[in-house]
Amino acid sequence: MSTVDVTRSRKTLACTAEANAFQKQFGLQLRRRVVDEGEPFAIVQADTPHEIFHVMDIPIITNQWWSAYISAKQLSTRYFDAMVEAGYPQNSCKYCSLGLACTLANDPKTAPWGGLPKPTVLVARLTCDCIQHVFSQWSEALGSEFFPMEAPAWEDKDPQWFEHSRGEWARVYQPDRIALMVDEMRDLIALLENRTGRKFDEAKLHHLMERINEQEGYIWEAAQAIGKARPCPVSIAEQMPNTMIPQWHRGSDWAVAHAKKFRDEVIDRIDQGLGASSNEKLRLMWIGAGVWHDPGFYQALEEKLGAVFVWSMYMPFAGPQYIREIKNAPMEALASRICSMNEVLHLPPWMNGWITSEAERCGIDATVVLLPPDNRLSQSGTKLTALSLEKAGVPVLMIDADMVDAKRWDHDRMVGLVASFLADRGLA
Amino acid sequence: MIASIGPNLPHDVLVATGRFAGPLAVDTRRSTERASQWLESKFAPWTKMVVEAWADGDLDHLEAVVFSRAEDSSQRLYYYVCELQRRGLLRGPEAVIVDIAKIPRPSSEGRTTEAVRALCRRFDVGDDALEQAIGQTNERRRAMPQAPEGRRCLVAGTAAPDDRINRIVEGCGFVTVAETLADEWGNIGPLVTEGTGDPAAAVGAQLHQFSIGPRSFADPAEELLSRMRAVNAQAVVVWRIEEDEAQAWHLPAQRRALEESGIPSLVMTRRDWLLRDGAADEIASFLTGIAS
Repeated sequence: MSTVDVTRSRKTLACTAEANAFQKQFGLQLRRRVVDEGEPFAIVQADTPHEIFHVMDIPIITNQWWSAYISAKQLSTRYFDAMVEAGYPQNSCKYCSLGLACTLANDPKTAPWGGLPKPTVLVARLTCDCIQHVFSQWSEALGSEFFPMEAPAWEDKDPQWFEHSRGEWARVYQPDRIALMVDEMRDLIALLENRTGRKFDEAKLHHLMERINEQEGYIWEAAQAIGKARPCPVSIAEQMPNTMIPQWHRGSDWAVAHAKKFRDEVIDRIDQGLGASSNEKLRLMWIGAGVWHDPGFYQALEEKLGAVFVWSMYMPFAGPQYIREIKNAPMEALASRICSMNEVLHLPPWMNGWITSEAERCGIDATVVLLPPDNRLSQSGTKLTALSLEKAGVPVLMIDADMVDAKRWDHDRMVGLVASFLADRGLA
Repeated sequence: MIASIGPNLPHDVLVATGRFAGPLAVDTRRSTERASQWLESKFAPWTKMVVEAWADGDLDHLEAVVFSRAEDSSQRLYYYVCELQRRGLLRGPEAVIVDIAKIPRPSSEGRTTEAVRALCRRFDVGDDALEQAIGQTNERRRAMPQAPEGRRCLVAGTAAPDDRINRIVEGCGFVTVAETLADEWGNIGPLVTEGTGDPAAAVGAQLHQFSIGPRSFADPAEELLSRMRAVNAQAVVVWRIEEDEAQAWHLPAQRRALEESGIPSLVMTRRDWLLRDGAADEIASFLTGIAS
C-alpha cells in the first residue's frame, strides 16, 4: 500500500524541515523588506549573477522561485487562464512567464504578497527567443526597467566540461564570452549603484566567492556520496530543497552552514545504512525542472516497485557549475559560473556529456525526462541526451508535461506511465 | 560554396567571399523521420527539413553553412548539427555560427562587430574586399523593388515556407506584401555605411541596429503599424505558427494596434506552417469578405 500523498512528498531529513522553515521565514522577511518597507529589490532569472546583488545587499526575487511559489499555491491555472483572456496564445511558454501572468492578472486578493511592488530592475539572460519579450513586458507592467544580458554563442565544445570547469574555466567557457559578461556585470553594477545608492565592493565579492566554493563543496561531497551509496540515503524530493534553498542564498552564513549540515546528515544516513526507501530496487534519474505542483510524484513508486528517484540536476550541478578557483579574478570567475549556466543543461554536447557521465557515476537503471510541450528551451537537448543514455544502456522515458502548469499534469496517469515504462523495459 | 541559415546575418561578408550560394533552400516535401529522432517538437518546422537534407548528403557540395544567433531555432540547430557531426551521424559542410548580439548596449554592438571580424577571418575576407562588397550590396539595397500598385494586403507574423500565402491573397484580388522564409533569411537590411575605414565595424553596427527578427528590441506593434503605413495596406493578415515563441508575446499589443488602425485584419495563431489546417480557406474568406 502506498503511503504517499499525491501532492506532498515524505521528508526524512531534519535539515529539510530546517531549510523549508528558513525559506518560509526568509519569504516573510523579503516581503517585509520589499513590500512593507519599500526597499529597492530586483527580479532576476536563476541564471543571472545573484552574487552582485548579494554583495550590494539588494534583495532579489528569483523568477523561478517566484513561479514555484505561485505554483505551489495552486494558482498557476488561474493566472495562465488570465493570460489567455488578455489575448496571449494558449501555448505561450509557461516556465518563465508565471510571474508576468500573476502581475497581468492584477488581482491583489489572490496574488502572493498581494502582488509584487515595483522593482528597481529586472534581469534576464537571453537564452531563448521569448525571455526578452516576457521580461520587457513584465518590466513595463511593473513600471520598472529591464536589464537583459547576452547568451553568446559558444564554439569551444568540450563534452567533458564538467571535469575541467573548476580550474580551467577560462578555457572551458571561452575568454571572450567571459569578458562580455564581465562588461555586462559592470554595467549592471553601475545601474544598481545609480538607482539604489548602494556600493559594490569587489573585495566582498572575492570573499563571497570563497564562501560559495565552501558551500558548493559540501553539496558536491554529498552528491558524490549519494552516487556511491546503496541504498540512496536521500530522495530527490529532499535533495532539491537542501540544494536550492541554500542556492538562493549562496555564500551567506546560513547557506554555508546548512550545506555542511546537509552533507553531514547525508553521510550519517549512509553510515547507518538508511535509505530514502526501504525497498530500493531501481535507481531512477529525473531530467528536467522539478514538478513543483506534485512533489509526491517522485516517491509514488518507491513502495510498490522499489523505484527511487536518486538523481536530479540540482544537486550534482553544484560542483561543476558553481565551484570556481578564483585566481584573484572574482568577476571573471563569477562570469564563468553564469555565462553558460543554462547552456550546459540544455545544449549538446554539454548536456548529454554531463548527464551520461552522471548516470554512470550514480548507477542509474532508468531515466525519466520531462518534455514540456510549449517550451523549446526546456525541451532542448533532451532527445540527443536520451540517445546518449540509451547508447550507454540506460532506458529513457520521455513524458509530455509542464513543470509549472498543473492543468497538464495528472498524478495517477504520470505514475502509471512510469510504472508501465519500467515494466515494458523489463525493469519492474 | 557557402550557404546561410537564419536572419540578420552579415550578407556583405558572405558576398565578399565570392562563394556565397545564398540562404539554404528548404524542401518542404521532405520526410523528417530521422530528424525527428534528434530534434524536439518545438523547433521551427524548417529545422527538421534542413537536418534531413543534411543527413541525405544533399549539402555535401557546400564548404560551410553559416548559422545566425539572432533567432533561436537557427542558433540551437547549430549546436545540434555540430553534435550530430561529432557522433558521426551527419557529415557534410562545416557549421559556423555568427554571434549576433542585439541588446541595445555598446558591449553587444562590440560583440556583433567581433563576430563579423571572426567571420571575415574564417573566410579570408580582407577590408578591401569587404568594402567593395558593401558597395555592391548597398546597390541592391537601393534598388529594392516596391510592391506593385493595387489593393495591398500585408501578411505579417511567421515567414511562410514559400509563396503559398501570396497565391491565396492574389487569388482574392490583392497585391501581397509578405516575406517567405527565403526572403527573411535573405533580407540584407538597411544601408551599411561606406568608406568608414573599418568596414567590419560598419557591418556590425548595421546588424546590431537592424530592427527585424525575434531578438530585435524594437516595439513590434509599432513595427507592424509602420509597415502597414509604408505599404499602404488595405488589409492585414497576421499569421503565426504553433512553434513561434517570440512574436506571440506581442499579440495583445498588435491586436490593439490593428483595431485602432481601422484596417480590416485577420489574426491567426498556432497554425500549421504548411497550411494543412484550413488557413488558406480562412484567409480567402476574410479577403473575399472585404472585397465584396
